[in-house]
Amino acid sequence: MSANSTVAVSRNGRRSLTTFFGLFLVALYLPTMLLMVFAFNDSTTQSWPPVGFTTHWFSDAANDSELLKSVVNSLKVGVVVAVAATVIGLCVSYPLARRKFWLRSPVSALMLSPLVVPPVVLGVAILMMIRKGPNIAIPLTGSNTEDLLGLTAVMVGHTVLALPFTILLLMPRIASIDRNLEEAAHDLGASGPVTFRRVMLPLITPAIFSAFLIAFVISIDEVVVASFVTEDEQTLPMFLYASLRFPDKTAVVLPVAFLLIVVSFALAILATVIRVRGDRRVTAS
Amino acid sequence: MQRLRTSGSTWLLLAPGVLLLVFAFLAPLYVIYQFSVGERMFAQTPALASLTGEATSFTTQMWSGFLGHDVQLKVLGGSFTLPLVAVGIALLGLLLLTVYGSKLVPRGGGVLAIVSALLLITPFLALPWGDSFPRLAELSSEGTDLRLFFKSVTMSMTASLIAVLIAFPVAYWLAFVAKRSKYVWLLIVITPFLTSYLLRVYAWRLILSSDGPVNSLLLSLGLISEPVPWLIDSQFAVVVVLAYAWVPFICLPIFIALENMDRRLLEAATDLGASRLMAFRRVTLPLAAPGLIAAFLFVFIPTIGEVITPGLVGGTNGYMFGSRIQGDFISSGSFDWQQGSVISLFLLAVVLVLTAATSRFLRNAGGEVS
Repeated sequence: MSANSTVAVSRNGRRSLTTFFGLFLVALYLPTMLLMVFAFNDSTTQSWPPVGFTTHWFSDAANDSELLKSVVNSLKVGVVVAVAATVIGLCVSYPLARRKFWLRSPVSALMLSPLVVPPVVLGVAILMMIRKGPNIAIPLTGSNTEDLLGLTAVMVGHTVLALPFTILLLMPRIASIDRNLEEAAHDLGASGPVTFRRVMLPLITPAIFSAFLIAFVISIDEVVVASFVTEDEQTLPMFLYASLRFPDKTAVVLPVAFLLIVVSFALAILATVIRVRGDRRVTAS
Repeated sequence: MQRLRTSGSTWLLLAPGVLLLVFAFLAPLYVIYQFSVGERMFAQTPALASLTGEATSFTTQMWSGFLGHDVQLKVLGGSFTLPLVAVGIALLGLLLLTVYGSKLVPRGGGVLAIVSALLLITPFLALPWGDSFPRLAELSSEGTDLRLFFKSVTMSMTASLIAVLIAFPVAYWLAFVAKRSKYVWLLIVITPFLTSYLLRVYAWRLILSSDGPVNSLLLSLGLISEPVPWLIDSQFAVVVVLAYAWVPFICLPIFIALENMDRRLLEAATDLGASRLMAFRRVTLPLAAPGLIAAFLFVFIPTIGEVITPGLVGGTNGYMFGSRIQGDFISSGSFDWQQGSVISLFLLAVVLVLTAATSRFLRNAGGEVS
C-alpha cells in the first residue's frame, strides 16, 4: 500500500499536496463559518469586522410572520416532495433494476433527464404549461389550470427535480441485492407483494431513508423553479433570496441561515451514515 | 403467461414516474417549443396572448431574430465577421473530434482530440482577473441575447476549469496520500455541497463586498488605497463563486477515476525507468482524463443556466443567460413569453447536445458515482 503511494507521489509532493488539501479545507469551510459568525453581529449591515455579540436577530427572526410563513410553506413542499419522489422513485427503480422490458433504456434516460435540464428552463416550462398549455385540470377538478400555480406547482416541479436523485440512490441498491433471496421467498410460496415487503423492503430501508432526505434537502434549497411558479406564496429560499439582495434586510435573515446550515449539515451527515450502514448490511447478507 | 403478468406489472410500476415526467416535463417543453415557433405576438395582454397561443402559424422568425446572421470572432486584436452557420458547424465539428478523435484516427488521434478541445475552448476562455477579462479569442454577436450567451459560456467554462484545477490535487491527495481515513476526508470535502447553495453563495457576498474581510485585509496591509471595485458585482465574483460552489461535488468523479486506476501500472512504469513526472504524464493523466472531463462537464452543464450566483454577487456586469430568461418571465410585469421560450429552448438544446456528445465520459464517471 505505502509502496504504491510512494510510486505516485514523492515525499516533497506529498508534503505540498497535504498543505494544499489543508488550505482547501479551510477555504471550503471559511465562508460558511463567516456567515454563521455574522448571525451574531450587533449591526444591521454586514461589514468586517463584526462589531459586537448579540442574539436579538434570532428573536427578531422568530417574530417575523412573513418569514415563518415561508418556513411553513417550505416544510409542506419539502415533505410532499420527499414522499412523492421517494415513492415514485421506488416504483420506477424496481423494474429498471430488475426487469428487462421494451423501451427500458429510453425510459431510464427520460427518468434521469431532469438532471441535465437547467432549473430555469424547467421553471419556464412548467409556468408556460400551466398558463399557456391545454387546460387539462378542468375535467379532474372542475377548476382552472391556473389554480395549480402556487405551492402545488412548486411541489410538482421539485418532484421532477428530485426524482433522478432518488432513482440514482435506490436503483443500484435494489440491483445489488441477491436475486436468489427473492426467488427463495417465491419458492416458499410468498406472493410478489409479500416478497417485496418481507425481503426487499428491509434490505433497502436505509436507501429509502437517504433518498427521502436528499429529496427533502433538494426541495428545501430550491429557489429557481419555485420563483417561477408560485404566485403569491413564498418558500423559504425565495424569502432568503429576496432578502439577501437588500443589505438592510439581511440581518434578520442571517439567524435563519445559521439554523439552516446547522440543520442541513446534520441531515447530510445523517443521510450518509444511514447509507453507509445500509451498504454494510447488504454486503454482510 | 408468467411473462405477460410481469410486463404488465412493470408498466404499472413505471406509470407514476412516466406520467409525472410526461405531464410536468415533456409536455411543458413542447409548449415552450410551440411558442418559440409561433408568430410574434406583440400584445402581451392575457386575452390576446391566449388567442395567439392557440392559433399561430409556424414561423422561425423568433429564432432568426435571436440567432442573427453573423458572428464576430476576435483573435489577438483582429476582428472577423463569420456566418453563424459556419461557426456553429465548426464548433460542433470540434466537439465531435474532441470526443471521438481518438477512435476515428488510430494513430495520433489523441493529439487530434486534445488540439480540437483546445480550439473549442479557446474562444470561451478568459483570465478571470480585473474589470474585463483578458482573453486570447472571443466570439461576439450583434444580437444582445446571443452575445450574452457567449459571455455566459465564457464565464461558466472559466469557472469549470478553475474548479477542475482545484479539485484534481484534492482528489489526488485523497487517492494517493490519504490512507485508511480517505473516505472520511472525502465526506468532509463533499458535505458542504449538500448545504444550502443560496447561503454558500451569499457568504461570498460578505467576503468580497467593499467593506468585507478581503478588502479590509488588503487595505490594512497597504496593498491598495481603496476597495478593489471588481471584487463584487462583477464577472470575477461570479466565476470565483461558481468554481467554489462546485469544487466539492467534482472531487468525487476525479477521486473515483484515480482510485479505480490499477496501481501496478505505475509500478510497471517506474520499473521500466520512467520518472515520477513521466509516469504521471503517460499513465495517471490519460487514465484520469475521462474523470476530469466528466468533472468539467458536471460544473459546466449546470452553470451555463445559472441564476442564483449572478443574482447575488454578479450585479449588472455578472449578468448571465439564465438571468435573462428569468428576467423575461419574472422581473417585469409584462412577460415576453416568446422571447423567453426561444432562449430557454436554445439553452436546453446546447446542454442536451453537450450531454449527448460527451455521454461517454459522463457514463464512465456517473455510473461509478452512483
